[in-house]
Amino acid sequence: MRLGIPVLDELLGRVPRGKTVTYSIDPEVEGDVFGMQTLYMNLEEGYECAYVTSTMSPESIRNRFKEFGWSVDDFKNFSIVDLYSRYVGAISKERYVVEDPTNLKEIDRIMSRAIEENDLIVFGSLSTILDVCGNETLDYFEEWKDLSKKCVIVSNFTVWPYPNEVLGRVMDLSNAVINIGGIHHRVVLGHYYGILKVDWTDVRGRAVLFKVIKPGGVRAYIPKILVTGPFNAGKTTFVHAISKEAISVDRLGTTVALDHGKVEYKGFTIDIFGTPGQERFDPILRVLGGEALGVILVVDSTKPETFPRAKQMLEKTTKFGLPYVIAANKQDQPKALKPDEIRRLMCLPDDVPIIPTVATEGKGVYEVLDALISLLIGGGYGKLEGKA
Amino acid sequence: MASLRERLEGVLKELKGVGDIEASAIVSRDGLLIAADISQSVNAEAFAAMTATMLGAAETATSELGKGIPDRVIVEGKEGKIIATGAGPKALLVVMTAPKANLGLVLLEMSKVSEKIRELLG
Repeated sequence: MRLGIPVLDELLGRVPRGKTVTYSIDPEVEGDVFGMQTLYMNLEEGYECAYVTSTMSPESIRNRFKEFGWSVDDFKNFSIVDLYSRYVGAISKERYVVEDPTNLKEIDRIMSRAIEENDLIVFGSLSTILDVCGNETLDYFEEWKDLSKKCVIVSNFTVWPYPNEVLGRVMDLSNAVINIGGIHHRVVLGHYYGILKVDWTDVRGRAVLFKVIKPGGVRAYIPKILVTGPFNAGKTTFVHAISKEAISVDRLGTTVALDHGKVEYKGFTIDIFGTPGQERFDPILRVLGGEALGVILVVDSTKPETFPRAKQMLEKTTKFGLPYVIAANKQDQPKALKPDEIRRLMCLPDDVPIIPTVATEGKGVYEVLDALISLLIGGGYGKLEGKA
Repeated sequence: MASLRERLEGVLKELKGVGDIEASAIVSRDGLLIAADISQSVNAEAFAAMTATMLGAAETATSELGKGIPDRVIVEGKEGKIIATGAGPKALLVVMTAPKANLGLVLLEMSKVSEKIRELLG
């Protein structure tokens, strides 16, 4: 089973049966989509999945799934464990109904059955059950965990200011914890997720920014990648070659302000900013270069005389130690230099990826993106992807 | 308490409807979208990048001439206007209006709102 979340799937691989995974969610972030996405992706795989709702009526849950474009009712392998309806005195026709959702023994009886009969249980909000039934909930949770030899339990857990022993216990009871939080200290007001702990594989995860798209769900998000390089190297062509949508401000065939492209790739949403190449536009480079997360330097492989300018642009845009990748463009031309020759002429370190490309034909452009994502996410992201 | 983004979006809501303002956005000086009150059909990220470029280019142009930093950029077209103004050191406030919008009123409201944004973003 996979979690169905971009990057996490590459880093964590398959989740072995019998494991519990917790999405530890900052109260400020609307993180319930994580559990929902995990459930839906596994429904599509044909696993028996049950969603435990304690905060919304089954009807509202179905609508919430629909907001993301996931019509769960098309799947026979979907069921709901209803901890809500009887709480508000409503009638429920779900497969699993808890008559008294404040009574842990009663919940336990139904949960045990659900765990027996399903491959995946997703708790819509474990923290809410904890709020209603008290800390004893975790004793039962431990039993469910022991019971679930064949089943994976995934929980959304909103991290309200609980006592430390409660939070510590939740942490201990989870085989993997994914932290989901918000960022405030930068101008970009973003949300991120990262792996806090995992016990079935050895990864050191970095935090990944994300966006929630309706429909679509969780996408890893890279707000700014700069595509720069000397005049006439093929930057605009490169941006258009990798983007789903791209906008350019061109006059007389050259970019005067910038190219902006939106890339959808391997679960990532990436905004690409292409800069003008001529020196007279350098002030714009300075304005727009801020807060980039990575740089793609496009060079014309047939024109070594432009390499000093290329290097100068690289220095202008990467002064904060940003990761960068070189796209050795125009490889279809007879006089094109090979990546190794370019490395030597530009005196670049051995570990800087130099990827041959033909932007006009879209050749090599995604390899460039792979190389940069791998530098950004770490852990040999591109390599793992290649194996799978 | 509402998150910073929600508070910024709240500030933008105040602008809606004032003097024919149709949409508004808060954009970082380097072209990233911070918050927007804009229809889904608009590519808000591209809009953000382009307006930041506009103001950035205008600043470079006027300062090259020794005329200091401009207060705002106003683009007038047959189908509407775009006005971009600074909102503190980190951000810009951009609005789109109907073509016949009352510019005086819009600018007045924008200066009030940009002051609030400056305070919120610190």
